[in-house]
Amino acid sequence: MVSESCGNPSVETEAIMSRRPKYDKSKFCIKCKLNSGAIIVRHAVYCKECFPALLSYKVKRILEPQINSKPELSRKKSLKASGNLSIGFSGGLGSTVLLDLISRIYLSHRTETKKEEGVTKPRGGKDHPRNEPVWKMVSVCYVEIASGFPGMSDKTQKIHQLLQENYESLEFIPIRLENAFDLSWWDKVGGKAALDANTDLTSDELFVSTAINSPDSDPVQKLRSYISALPTPTAIESAIHTLIRILLLYTARSTQSSHLLLGTSLTSISIKLISSISQGGGFSVREEAQEEWNPDSKGAVRLIRPLQEITLKECSMWAWWNDLLVVGKEKYPRGKDGIEALTKEFIIGLERDYPSTVSTIARTCAKLAPKVDAAGLCILCERPLQPGVQEWKSQISIRATKEPSPPSHSSDPSSVLHSLTSYLCYSCHTTLSSRSSKGVSRNSANTSLPLPVWASTHLQGLLVDVAITDMQPNLKEADEEIWLTHKVNPDEMKEAIGEFLLE
Amino acid sequence: MPPKTCALCENAKAILKRPKTGQQICKDCFFYVFETEVHNTITQANLFARGDRVAIGASGGKDSTVLAYVLKTLNERYHYGLHLFLLSIDEGITGYRDDSLETVKRNQQQYDMPLKILSYDELYGWTMDRIVSQIGKKNNCTFCGVFRRQALDRGAAALNVDHIVTGHNADDIAETVLMNIMRGDIARLGRCTSIVTQGEDTIKRSKPFKYAYEKEIVMYAYFKKLDYFSTECIYSPDAYRGHARTFLKDLEAARPSAIIDIIHSGEAFEIREEIKATQKIQQTCKRCGYMSSNDLCKACTLLEGLERGMASSGITDRARKKLDAEGPLPENLRTIPFYQPPSGNPNPTITIGS
Repeated sequence: MVSESCGNPSVETEAIMSRRPKYDKSKFCIKCKLNSGAIIVRHAVYCKECFPALLSYKVKRILEPQINSKPELSRKKSLKASGNLSIGFSGGLGSTVLLDLISRIYLSHRTETKKEEGVTKPRGGKDHPRNEPVWKMVSVCYVEIASGFPGMSDKTQKIHQLLQENYESLEFIPIRLENAFDLSWWDKVGGKAALDANTDLTSDELFVSTAINSPDSDPVQKLRSYISALPTPTAIESAIHTLIRILLLYTARSTQSSHLLLGTSLTSISIKLISSISQGGGFSVREEAQEEWNPDSKGAVRLIRPLQEITLKECSMWAWWNDLLVVGKEKYPRGKDGIEALTKEFIIGLERDYPSTVSTIARTCAKLAPKVDAAGLCILCERPLQPGVQEWKSQISIRATKEPSPPSHSSDPSSVLHSLTSYLCYSCHTTLSSRSSKGVSRNSANTSLPLPVWASTHLQGLLVDVAITDMQPNLKEADEEIWLTHKVNPDEMKEAIGEFLLE
Repeated sequence: MPPKTCALCENAKAILKRPKTGQQICKDCFFYVFETEVHNTITQANLFARGDRVAIGASGGKDSTVLAYVLKTLNERYHYGLHLFLLSIDEGITGYRDDSLETVKRNQQQYDMPLKILSYDELYGWTMDRIVSQIGKKNNCTFCGVFRRQALDRGAAALNVDHIVTGHNADDIAETVLMNIMRGDIARLGRCTSIVTQGEDTIKRSKPFKYAYEKEIVMYAYFKKLDYFSTECIYSPDAYRGHARTFLKDLEAARPSAIIDIIHSGEAFEIREEIKATQKIQQTCKRCGYMSSNDLCKACTLLEGLERGMASSGITDRARKKLDAEGPLPENLRTIPFYQPPSGNPNPTITIGS
C-alpha cells in the first residue's frame, strides 16, 4: 500500500502538473483575431471561418509556381497549363480533401454563377468567362488493387458513384493494378509492345528470361505471381506503390495531361521520405516531393503533391467540417510488417511528443540534392538511376565468394539471359533481392517475377540482339549509352596475355 | 531437417545466419566476409598510408575491442604498415569506466599496443561526477560529448598520431542519419555518413566499421572469444536517440538490409549548394586553439560556465547573455591548455601509460 505522505507519483504528476497550453498566445484566431479558435495548427490557432483560406493558400503556394510550363517562384503571368489535369484518387483522406480543394479553387466557380445576398451576379475578374480555365480538361484516375489480393473488395463502382454525385463534370478513369501487365492497356496508353520478361529472384544478379509474349497471358495471374514472388512485406508495399504511381503517370499522359496531382499530406510525405530513405531511396529524395516524369521523351508530366504543407489533422478537420465522404483504402495482408507501416507508426507516435517532427522532416529533405548525376532511369520505377550501385553493394556486403551463374532451368536456348541489376536503382534492386528472416513464405517456390509492361519495353530497348551480344560482349549501343559486360574467364585472360607468360 | 551447408563456400556446415544478409554460413566464411568487408572499406576510402601512426579510440566496449583485434589482424594480413596505439578517455564516472578500462589494459598486453589514458580530470579539472553534482542530470550529455571529442584529439596529439579510428558501427551511423533528418540538423546530416572527418588542423578521424552491423560485431567477438564490457551510462540517456534506436531495430527486424540501405541513402544525397552557403565557416577557438564555429569553442564555453557556477551558459543563449553581463573573464579562471596539432615528430612527446 502506498503511504499517503509519499503519494503515488505516477498518478500525482498528472494531477499537480498543469498541462502546457497547446497554443502560443491566445485562444483567438491568429488571422481575424475576433473569433475563438477551432483548430490548432502547430501552436497557431485558427477559427472555422479563416481555416479555408489557410488551406487554399497552402495549396496555391505549392501548386501555382508549377502550373505554367516554366516553373516560376514569383508569379506575374496568368496561370495556363500546357495540358490537361489528372488527379490521382485513392479514396483515402488525402485524395478526398485534394479533390475537394482543387475543385473549389480552380473548377467550381466556372460552372456556377456567383450568388451574393440572393442576387445572381455575372462572373468577373479572374473568373470572367473570357479567361480560359487553367486546365481544359480534368480527369480523376483511380487504381483498383483488389485483383492482386484474393478476398479484397473492389471499390471501383463505389468510387465512380461518389464522383458522379459530387463532381459530375470530371471524367472518371478507372485503372486496375493488373494493367501493369496488360498489353492491351499498354497499347492504349501509347506503349510499344514488348517481349514477355521474367526475372529470377533466386540470385542477386536477377537474371532475366524473355520470351515471345502470348497475347492471352492473363494480367491478373501475372500480377499475382509478381506479388507472390516478392521476398518481404516491405517489398510488396513498395512495389505496389511504384506500380500505382507509374500506372497513373502513363494514364495522365494518355489524357494529354501536363500535371498529375496526388493527395499526399505533410504527414504522409514525411512518412514516405523516412520510409524511402530506409529502403535506400536517398538518391531520389527530391522525387518524393515532386517529379518531372518523361521516361521516353514523349511528353512530360509534372507530378505535384499540393497538400505537402497540410498535416493529416488539417485534412481530417476539413473533411469533417465539409461532410466529405472518405471511402477509405483497403489494407493489404501483412502490410503492417513492412517498413512503411512501421515508419507510419513511429512518426505518428513521435509527432505526439515532438509536434514539429513532420514538418522538420519534410523541410530537411527539401534541402537535399543527389550527390552525383544520374546515369539514366531505373526501368522499374522510372526514377533516376545512381551509377555504381552494384559495386558499392558488393564491396560492403559480400553475398557470394563464387561467380554467380544463370539458373539452370533457364538454359533453354530460345530464351535470352541477362542480369537485370544494372538497370535497376538501388531501391528497386533491394526490393527484389533483400530478404528477411521473417520473410513472406517462400513455400510457394515462386521465384519468377514477371516484369511490368514498361519495364519489359525499356529492357528490350536496352538489350541488343542476342547474336550480336554473343559475338561482341562489350558492344556499346550508339543510342542507348549502355554497356554489356561479361565476366572474363581465366582461359580468355590467358589468351590475351599469353605472349607475356613464360610457361 | 538435414544440416544446411554454408551459402558461401557450399562446403562446411552452416552454423550462423548472417545478420546483414540473412545467409546461412559457416564460421570461417563469416570471419572471412566480416574482415574482408572492413578491409574493402579501408582500401576503398584510402584510409591509411604506409607508416601511419593510428590511435584506436578504445572504450573497452564491443566495438572498440573488436576494432583493435580486426585492425591488428588486417594490418598483418595485408601489410598496411601501420603503427597502432590504444587511446582511452576516462570521463570520471564512478563504476562506469573502471571495468572497461581494465579490458583496454588487457588489450594493450594481448595486442602489444601502447596505451594512453587521458582523463577529463587531467584535461579540464572536472570529472563527470563533479559536473553532474553541479548541474544535475539534465543536459550533461552535452558536456560529456563535447569534452570527449576534444579529449580524443588532445590524447592523439599527445601520442603524436596522424589518425584516430573509432568503433562507430553501421547501426550508429544509420541511427544518426535518421536522427539528423528528424531534428533538421542539416550540417551534421551532411557529414555523418562520411567515413573520414578532418578539419584543417585537426587530426584525421575515421570509422572503419562504418558498414559493420552491431550484431555482427558481437557475433565476431563471440566466435573469436574476445571479452568486452557492456556498460550503460548511468547519467541521462538521450531520449531522442533512444526513440531512433528502437525504430531502427524494428526496421532491421522487418528487413535486415535496412541499416545499410539507410547509410546508402545518406551517402547518395548532400546539402544543396545554396543551403551550404548559409552555413558557418570553421575557425579556431581564441582561448584554446581547438577548431570552433564561434570565437570560443564549445568546450571552453562549457568549462567557463562550470567554473563560474553558471553551467547552463554553454547550453542556452539566454544564459550565455547573462554570463556576459556578469563581467569579463576572471583572471584566475581555469582554461584548457592550448591545442597543438601533431607536429609530425615521430617520437611521442609523452610517456605512455601502463
